[in-house]
Amino acid sequence: MFIRIEKGSAVPISRQITQQIGMLCASGQLDAGERLPSVRELARELAVNQNTILRVYERLTSAGLLEMRHGQGTFVTPGAKDELIVVHRERLVDELRQIGRQSVALGLSSDELHDLLTIALEQLSAAASPLAADAPREEPTP
Amino acid sequence: MNDPASPFAIEMQAVEKSFGRNQVLRGLTLQVKRGSTFAFLGRNAAGKTTAIRMLLGLLHRDDGAIRVLGLDPAREPLALRARIGYLAEDQTMYGWMRVDEILRFVAPFYPTWDHNLALRYVRDFELPLKSKIKHLSKGQNVRLGLVLALAHRPELVILDDPALGLDPIMRKQFNRDLITHLQGEGRTVFYSSHLLYEVEPVADEVTILHDGRIVRQTETESLRRQVKQFILSRQAWETYRADLQLLDHRAEGDRVAVTVENAAQVEQLLAQEGVEHRTVDLNLDEIFEAYVVGRKV
Repeated sequence: MFIRIEKGSAVPISRQITQQIGMLCASGQLDAGERLPSVRELARELAVNQNTILRVYERLTSAGLLEMRHGQGTFVTPGAKDELIVVHRERLVDELRQIGRQSVALGLSSDELHDLLTIALEQLSAAASPLAADAPREEPTP
Repeated sequence: MNDPASPFAIEMQAVEKSFGRNQVLRGLTLQVKRGSTFAFLGRNAAGKTTAIRMLLGLLHRDDGAIRVLGLDPAREPLALRARIGYLAEDQTMYGWMRVDEILRFVAPFYPTWDHNLALRYVRDFELPLKSKIKHLSKGQNVRLGLVLALAHRPELVILDDPALGLDPIMRKQFNRDLITHLQGEGRTVFYSSHLLYEVEPVADEVTILHDGRIVRQTETESLRRQVKQFILSRQAWETYRADLQLLDHRAEGDRVAVTVENAAQVEQLLAQEGVEHRTVDLNLDEIFEAYVVGRKV
């Protein structure tokens, strides 16, 4: 499990770990039913207090992403992906609020900001579509 | 404070200490829970080492009370030191001794010395057993000091700025060992440092010592939740300043940046009153700085 901790960041270490485990579940790098390292192992690996790791596991368990089975370990739940939206909702609203603040400072209206979000989403789906990826190769070279 | 079943490994109550006219500790009060890792932070010369030397019974207090593992260090320093592992800030060891010689030299001082454990640490820390201490690097010296502090399996380990001579890789390795061998086995760790970000990953509680007294003792997580900066209009600052537990404030034009230690409460108040503001999460260096050099007025 690849987790990176940024020391001295404004984001608390427990939140850094929580978010990254969430991302690993979302991207499928941690599959439903997969077993996570023990609290002790992950604490040692990351050089982070065991209580911090325990708190992260407990938080993700109460969010429905993980399941702590007594004597067996901690596992990714089958419904983890669905629960993720709930977990990340708060963070997304947070980031959107920052973007909103910048837009207000720049004098953009609500409609103009919505337009910008639409453009950004279109760019994303264009980049993700296979046609777009193939596009340059379709152009015949003279 | 005489209860042997006290939940605290260390208690200091209104401790005072002066050297001549220089008052170093001014009513220092703190409690360290058994089994916890306690970060003791302060700038250089804040009084950290003075406090630590008192916990070990190496210095006597002028006033106040101290209890370490149920004992008064001033009365029973030797009984106490047998149960404590101590790594001094500038550990000086006999330079002419070899590593294996100092292990044999120190062992008889501790009834609970575990020589196999000492040898395992020596191996983990990649220390050359047959080298003379004066030929070790700064980092190796710190690691040898650690071996000597841990090999008698102490209940309480006091580390005076242990990361000072270590490179970033060794620091991480050191934190790992602390987690595995100390936290994992339920020992109490009193970890002094001048770098908040260095101790944050491992500490249960953080205490900031400034000007001879504790300016904050709190769980590591809540420190970040409670200490934040708000950018307000000058008018809002005048209106609500009585509600702010202020650490620092700076004015610029008609805006004021205030750092407070009751952020949750302030956030709620500003939201409730509909006051336009911006909240800034601070990194640990900024939090530490607010406490030790903040301008309150």
